[in-house]
Amino acid sequence: MNADGHKSAGLSFRLWWTHPGLRALAALLLVVVIGLVFNAEGAFFKWATHRDLLRQVAVFGILACGMTLVIISAGIDLAVGSILGLSAVFFALFSLRWGWSPFLAVPATLLAGALCGAASGGLIARLRLQPFIVTLAMMVFARGLAKWVSGGQKISTAVELADGTYRYGEAPPFIEFLNAKVLADNVAVVTLIFLACGFCCWLLLAKLRWGRYLYAIGGNEEAARLSGVPVGGMKLLAYALSGLFSAVAGICQMAQEIQGDPEAGAGYELSAIAIVVIGGTALMGGRGGIGLTLLGALTIGYLEKILSINAVGEAARLMLTGLIVVSAVIFQHRRK
Amino acid sequence: MNIKIITGGAVLLLGLGLGERALAQQRQATPQRYAQASWTIGMSQCNLGEPWRVQMNADIRKAAEEHPELSVVFKDAQNDTLKQRAHIEEFVGAGVDLLIVSPKEAAPLTAPVAAAFQKNIPVIVLDRKVLGEQYTCFIGADNRKIARAAGRWALKTLGGKGRVVELKGLMTSTPGQDRNVGFREGIQGSAMQVIFEADMKWLEPNARREMESALARFAEINLVYAHNDPGAHGAYLAAKAAGREKNMLFVGIDALPHEGQAYVRQGILAASFEYPTGGSEAIATALKILNGQKVAQHLTLPSRVFTRENIDQGGAWLPNE
Amino acid sequence: MTQVPLLSMQTIGKSFGGLSVLAQVAFELYGGEVHVLAGENGAGKSTLMKILAGVYSDYEGRVLLDGRESRWASPQQAAARGVAMIHQELSLIPELSVVDNIFLGREHCGALGWLKPQRQRQEARQRLNQLDLDLDLNHPAGEYPLAIQQLIEIAKALAAQARILIMDEPTSALNEPEIQRLFAIIRSLRQQGCGIVFITHKLEEMYQIGDRLTVLRDGRVAAAGRCSDLPPAALLRALVGRDLNQQFPARRFHPGPLRLQVENLSLTDPTNPGRRLLDRVSFGAHSGEILGLAGLQGCGASELLQALFGVYGLAPTGQVRLDGQPLRPYSPRHALAQGMAFLSNDRQAHGLISGLSVVHNITLSALGFYSPGLWLRPRQEWAAALSSAEKLRIQMRSPCQEVQELSGGNQQKVLLARWLETKPKVLLLDEPTRGVDVGAKHDLYELMNQWTAAGITIMLITSELPELLAMADRIMVLHRGQMAGVYARGQATPELVLRAAMGGS
Repeated sequence: MNADGHKSAGLSFRLWWTHPGLRALAALLLVVVIGLVFNAEGAFFKWATHRDLLRQVAVFGILACGMTLVIISAGIDLAVGSILGLSAVFFALFSLRWGWSPFLAVPATLLAGALCGAASGGLIARLRLQPFIVTLAMMVFARGLAKWVSGGQKISTAVELADGTYRYGEAPPFIEFLNAKVLADNVAVVTLIFLACGFCCWLLLAKLRWGRYLYAIGGNEEAARLSGVPVGGMKLLAYALSGLFSAVAGICQMAQEIQGDPEAGAGYELSAIAIVVIGGTALMGGRGGIGLTLLGALTIGYLEKILSINAVGEAARLMLTGLIVVSAVIFQHRRK
Repeated sequence: MNIKIITGGAVLLLGLGLGERALAQQRQATPQRYAQASWTIGMSQCNLGEPWRVQMNADIRKAAEEHPELSVVFKDAQNDTLKQRAHIEEFVGAGVDLLIVSPKEAAPLTAPVAAAFQKNIPVIVLDRKVLGEQYTCFIGADNRKIARAAGRWALKTLGGKGRVVELKGLMTSTPGQDRNVGFREGIQGSAMQVIFEADMKWLEPNARREMESALARFAEINLVYAHNDPGAHGAYLAAKAAGREKNMLFVGIDALPHEGQAYVRQGILAASFEYPTGGSEAIATALKILNGQKVAQHLTLPSRVFTRENIDQGGAWLPNE
Repeated sequence: MTQVPLLSMQTIGKSFGGLSVLAQVAFELYGGEVHVLAGENGAGKSTLMKILAGVYSDYEGRVLLDGRESRWASPQQAAARGVAMIHQELSLIPELSVVDNIFLGREHCGALGWLKPQRQRQEARQRLNQLDLDLDLNHPAGEYPLAIQQLIEIAKALAAQARILIMDEPTSALNEPEIQRLFAIIRSLRQQGCGIVFITHKLEEMYQIGDRLTVLRDGRVAAAGRCSDLPPAALLRALVGRDLNQQFPARRFHPGPLRLQVENLSLTDPTNPGRRLLDRVSFGAHSGEILGLAGLQGCGASELLQALFGVYGLAPTGQVRLDGQPLRPYSPRHALAQGMAFLSNDRQAHGLISGLSVVHNITLSALGFYSPGLWLRPRQEWAAALSSAEKLRIQMRSPCQEVQELSGGNQQKVLLARWLETKPKVLLLDEPTRGVDVGAKHDLYELMNQWTAAGITIMLITSELPELLAMADRIMVLHRGQMAGVYARGQATPELVLRAAMGGS
């Protein structure tokens, strides 16, 4: 309850301010204003800068989409980064090394990611284990699997032949397409994939019964169970989808690097969680939405881009990121 | 009570004796196998997360396979200093004939390496040094020298002037610092200037991101110098996405066969400077030591440069300074 | 009674964001009296008491303690002046021992903050003796039953030298013998000169324990005076602001066909395999009937409802038939699909979904109706939720409001609406009127009558005996998981039910 004595004039402002979407937007605008001030000799005003940041943030944003589903159900998924790496390796193996058609390689990769997620989800739902520890185990396992499958080497268009020499292939057109820009070179394809993932999550959360169930589980799991919500099935679904989106992100990452790096995505889980939380989705579950995650992704994306175009040194960059993230969160939660 | 202990002890001794005899019989039964692998080498690798170190192990394995009298046992410390220390102690305890160590850090691993050395186990230290003189031989390349060569190459290729983007590894690591300082020494006193520099933490996605920022800020860039080949490759992808990859040259370091050399062959990089793993040299040195020959305590590896012109001839050796 | 009141609150006013919650409220408390503070949920009782306990410091008016004006900046200051509040949700730390809880925040310390455990134990023992309690001081407080925990809270207040004790619905979670024990303690504290503010929704308690009474309605004093001067009818009128003919509406029972048939239902305690929560319970319930369940805490009544609802999965043994068909639910979801509905006695922990709006809370259990093929149909969903909100007279600012913001009675109605949306055949109600104000209670009773008239079978647990006697068509008494007696309406008396509940014949 707001205990202080704002009179009626302040009432409309307060209503405005309590809407989480507007608060997330305010945090984004705060960061954009920093960019307008430190514009790096006008580089911030070029469309290419914004197009590139939208491309850079896409992989993290796709991970954050899945993470949003999990966090709304009051869980956490630490395995997204590793599943990204595993999927990148699988996709590189399927499409570069074995030359599968994308119509086969993409579904196979997505299936692998979803299965990893479903494995975590199954353990969490069936044995009622802590999501933190289960997904931590999956994070380690999937990374190991990626290294094993790839033999510890990046899987690229270069193939070692029996006599120790290398054959260099071309990347398949599908991968070129994923790495390209469309709409008169104004938007990267991966950005559109990110938006599509966001749209799917929005459909799920706002338009499907399952979404309502996820919110209910996050709000009060025991009450949801007593209200006839299939809690176990929904948790399985949330983690499986998180794995699926991680695989989408892995495909995008692989297409951009034109190689499957078993080390790809290390530490990305923290970025994904940061995006979700900065957007304003509650880590406790039950509150939030995909729109907020979109705003959170943009906030993080702009922050990194501004630091990057100003060529801020690594040490200062880490400190500034910490400070700005905390201020954005304080800014958002000032009135609770 | 006493009787029990004595009986137990006797049974134990008997068992050991029988086992020993069985072992001896087995030895007699397969004499050639033991003659083949007469030397065991322990190889302690600090981290297999980097392709370059995977390559080092592969080089060692390949070189050792040509000598049937050698068998190499590999251990990966997964970037953990204490784990590597334990691995070295395990090798000493197992009584290996020779130890190859590619240490993660100098100070904490000096003592275990010295302990092995004092137990008359020859120790070859690869790539990174340990403190003091308590080892048999150090084999490594000189990052600063290689980077200086890269700087001189850039100077010559661009004709003494130009605008350079430097994508640094990690400035808190020694290789990152050496590759930075060496390059600056190489272009010192010329009209070449570094207009943009950023840490990319040796990672390709980061290199691509930083390069995009550089492209957004500067309309004219003549050369990109990255501290490793994946970094240079990431920068190339960024420039290609902006349609500007033809306007600049990309230079990287490491020149692994499937990375840097491959990129040069594909026309992505203008040059890649080899940072040799020293794997085959380590096995050659190990054989000398085991056969009782004397070796120098310090061996600096020669390095090659790969360019579009010389890639098919296997690169060109960098001149000794 | 002394001349100067111990406490005098004069022309108190308080508003939140322009919305007036209290206006011109006067409240006096003398040493050695029990002053009942009554009012429906949202009438301003809690706000008034929070001002007294120092939670709010920005209010209009004056608070006089011993005739001197006081304004406390924090609850700690109020506690230092002898005001202690015993909250509805107990504020003990369950993992800490009894003695640590009693001295939490006011530990007896020597130099450098060294604790003096001996002295604490001595004083704790003394305070507990005062309450006629013999507890293991080193035992974690959370492992004692709720009633004992409440007494530990009182001991905590006494150890803090409290002279004014505010008790916010202390009886809501207690059974009859426990309530009588609490009242005895309150009376002895009164004799020792304490002033006690007693907040309750239960009419009979007001007359049983209260000396004087203040009724708040819409933030103003609606009635005040000695309890003996205020007959129940006038009190009800003051509480509700309209005439309630009776506390309970008339109940007519036309038994339909046999709906629920339970034979030899048994259940072992999952945490303690040696103990049976339910022991060969058999009964039947008809369509249109309210079957009341009575018993002391731990008698197994709640567990019976939960077992019927599939909360324990397939663990219960025995035979249950619903409309002649065997019923063996493996989960609440399964039970729900067969026409069962269960209102838990803890609406915060097991009922309300925080973060969801009122509408979404109402439709949660019946979401399948409004999303054939997974896609939600918001227009149908809203129409259904709004119509049942209207039927149940749920008061809310907006249907999008978060359910947590509603008052207790309205929250309970939201949960009932959720279950009615599933069109149940059997409604299992565990303490539906707990923490609900008088007006809303009356609404709930009328709704129960409507539902049974429509053929629904209700199984009702309530710790308020008058409610049980008035509403239940039959009363089934349980004692330690076994049937201790069944009484038809008219046949049952409070004495009979209580004796059966306590294990007498």
